[in-house]
Amino acid sequence: MIGRFKYSRWFETQHELITKNREFFKDFDQTRPLQQYNFVVFDMEMTGMNRKKDEIISIGGIKIRNLQIDLGHTFHYYIRPQKINHTEATLVHRITPEQLREAPPLTEVIPKFISFIGTDLLVGHYVGLDMSFLHRATESVLNGTLANPGIDTMRMAKGYKRVMLGYYHDRGETAHKLSLRDLSREFNLPVFEAHDALEDAMQTAYLFLFFIKKFKKGGLVSLRDLYHVGRSGRWTSR
Amino acid sequence: MTNNRKHPQVPSFDGSVHAVAPDVAVDFLRNTMPFKELPDDILYSLARHCRIDFFPKGTRILTYNESEITHLYLIQRGGVKAFITDAEDKIVLKDYRGVGANIGALGIIRGTRANLNIETIEDTFCFLLPRENLLNLVREYSVVAHFYLKSFSDNVVATAYSELRRNRMTRRTTDALYLFSVTAGELTKTLHAIPGTASIQKAAAIMTDHAIGSLLVHDDKEPGSVVGIITDTDFRTKVVASGRDYRDPVTTIMSSPLKTVQSQTLCFDILLKMMSTGIHHLGVEQDGQVTGIVTSHDIMVQQGNSPYYLFKEIVAQSEFQGLYPLGQKISGIIRNIINEGAKAGNITRMIAILNDQIVVRILSLLQEQMGPPPVKYCWLLLGSEGRREQTFKTDQDNALIYADPENEEQRRRAEDYFKLFAEQAIEHLVHCGYPLCKGDVMARNPKWCQPLSVWKSYFLNWINAPDPQELLNSTIFFDFRCGFGTEQLAVDLREYLIEQSNKKGLLTYHLGRQCIANRAPLSLFNNFIVEKDGEHRDKLDIKFRGLTPFVDFARTLALKYGIRETNTLDRLRVLMTEEKIPRDLYRATVDAYEFQMQLRVIHQLSQIEKGDFPDNFIHPEHLTDLERRMLRDAFTVIEKTQSFLENIFPAS
Repeated sequence: MIGRFKYSRWFETQHELITKNREFFKDFDQTRPLQQYNFVVFDMEMTGMNRKKDEIISIGGIKIRNLQIDLGHTFHYYIRPQKINHTEATLVHRITPEQLREAPPLTEVIPKFISFIGTDLLVGHYVGLDMSFLHRATESVLNGTLANPGIDTMRMAKGYKRVMLGYYHDRGETAHKLSLRDLSREFNLPVFEAHDALEDAMQTAYLFLFFIKKFKKGGLVSLRDLYHVGRSGRWTSR
Repeated sequence: MTNNRKHPQVPSFDGSVHAVAPDVAVDFLRNTMPFKELPDDILYSLARHCRIDFFPKGTRILTYNESEITHLYLIQRGGVKAFITDAEDKIVLKDYRGVGANIGALGIIRGTRANLNIETIEDTFCFLLPRENLLNLVREYSVVAHFYLKSFSDNVVATAYSELRRNRMTRRTTDALYLFSVTAGELTKTLHAIPGTASIQKAAAIMTDHAIGSLLVHDDKEPGSVVGIITDTDFRTKVVASGRDYRDPVTTIMSSPLKTVQSQTLCFDILLKMMSTGIHHLGVEQDGQVTGIVTSHDIMVQQGNSPYYLFKEIVAQSEFQGLYPLGQKISGIIRNIINEGAKAGNITRMIAILNDQIVVRILSLLQEQMGPPPVKYCWLLLGSEGRREQTFKTDQDNALIYADPENEEQRRRAEDYFKLFAEQAIEHLVHCGYPLCKGDVMARNPKWCQPLSVWKSYFLNWINAPDPQELLNSTIFFDFRCGFGTEQLAVDLREYLIEQSNKKGLLTYHLGRQCIANRAPLSLFNNFIVEKDGEHRDKLDIKFRGLTPFVDFARTLALKYGIRETNTLDRLRVLMTEEKIPRDLYRATVDAYEFQMQLRVIHQLSQIEKGDFPDNFIHPEHLTDLERRMLRDAFTVIEKTQSFLENIFPAS
């Protein structure tokens, strides 16, 4: 559930933001109680799914402190891609080409996003995909990748179903029920129509809150415990 | 949730699209009382101060007398129970709260710790608004202050009423339906016509006798051939104003030829024709023959626009058959006054006026038919009719009281006369749409058709030896009033009742104790008090559970203090002005009673419009959050009335 991501090509000069970030996570303590960590739940929209060619065109993020969604700390930017004519496809993303033409470029937005994240843990639904785009972006803009651990709500869902509901076979029937909105409906959370990356991040935040508090009520205390659930699908009662 | 995105997505100074909270968060506030009353920019800034928390089922949120309340909790999903534990550690449930409800407002405003334990009974998401923000809102926005501080501020009541109207009154797509379904032929009334040679004065006399506004003029030799029409206006403009001789023939003032429509013409097309020609009286033709007249007034009444027109129409009826359809029109009229924003008190009064008038017309016509009665009498209206609190299709509850006969012969004649009189009256009332009373409390039952002295003995019996069970069935008699006839008889009986019951407090004591004991077995279901079992499981009997307690409360105290009014709201008002009940209790009871009456009237109206028989069973799921909350508040008022009675009628 928690993964560290590869070190960057260190021979290029890292941006100060990256250096500080990596410095912080060198001795990262995973044993503190969950509520002492801050999280940023985020969602990004891309021009396509190709990790090499496609570009990020919007980022939405929201903070979780004290295991509560903090509506006062949100992040939402559109990003002007380099290949602007590429963007007919982005209509799917509810973003107009006009909005993109007026948006700042990635080089401006990425540093802001990294400041917004700070040393918080990153949370996303199927976060691996977003992380790989994010890493590529930070690498191209700041010559380095972030060391913030990422937490995947989709994996949390699998863990929750295994542990709390006793589904040991998470293939087949349940497999296609792991989309953000299917899960939200399954657990009777408020469901929003998807409008933009920020609202997708909100939806993910509700899901994250749901799982983490359910786990907590089930006896899970620290971040490390969460890590164990993700790996083994059970935790020892403490 | 609505998605009316009033807030423009304008990039802020640094290019970020949202320097604001997500719209989905604002949408929640926008749909939650009392925030929905606030302007949008305030909602956006409030949302930025909110946090969202999740409490799995079974989480304790607040603890009685311990928790400092730092935030107002607004339930977005799920539900909580509020309870306290008493001295013996038993849990006393206070209430359930669901989506849209809040937790902690009272504590924040009063600056106290939690006054209840709060625990989630479902997985629950809450918006948390910091204490300071709520206090600022209460200071700056009276809507917010009202909402929290006065459980029944007029403001909220008004909002609820308008919500009620909006939510429940839209089923019938449009009033214009009438216009597209009723034809001219269905509107025509009995045809009145006179020959053209008749004098103007003669025509006026006929119109006055029949209480009609227009008269057809036919050819002298061929009564079937209509040559023109005269209307009320003609007398003003063509006779009085121009000083014409009353003895002139009507042909000199008639409009000719008569404009006609075919009997199958729809109301809509008739109205169009009237509006385009400026002619408000049209002949209705069938198979080449004029069979009647249709007027703009007829169409307006048909549309149910005006209670006044219906009232006038009832008054003008000279035949029983003509009254029958008018009784059925009352619900249509009521719909309109509800739409215009009438409150329950006015609605039931309007219904009472119209129903009363039907009784008056039926009884006057009967009396004309049967000749004068042997002795004076008074037709009594009982129960909800007596209190002027009928809604739709209420059973007949009536009785007859007549002056004590002077001799045996008169006694026999009175018995015979009133027996026949009552039987016929009740039959006509059934035809007008008032069903028979299942308990046979009607004037045709010999027991309830008696001279004054016998009635006095009935009441004396209830006063002196009240049998609780019998009393329960007799309460409707205490709400009698005069419907027709010699009112003095009803007045005498009322005076006697007050005088006798004052001598002995036994009757009012029993009634009072009954009010207090009337805690029916209720179950709390999803925020709501509903019937536990039977046909109406999970529904609320709004009449029995909600309204009757107030009616009983007012009746008991009215009897105790010799108040002559029978209407519940009137009784409460006099009790307050005579300082028998405190002003705040008065306000609370009136609000609670009127609100529930409104719910009931609208519920029944929507049933009638769907073609169902109206009843008193309300399904909680069909109510909005606000309505549910107000209903819950109304039930707490019942408890207040009971503890008030407890002081007056302490258990022996």
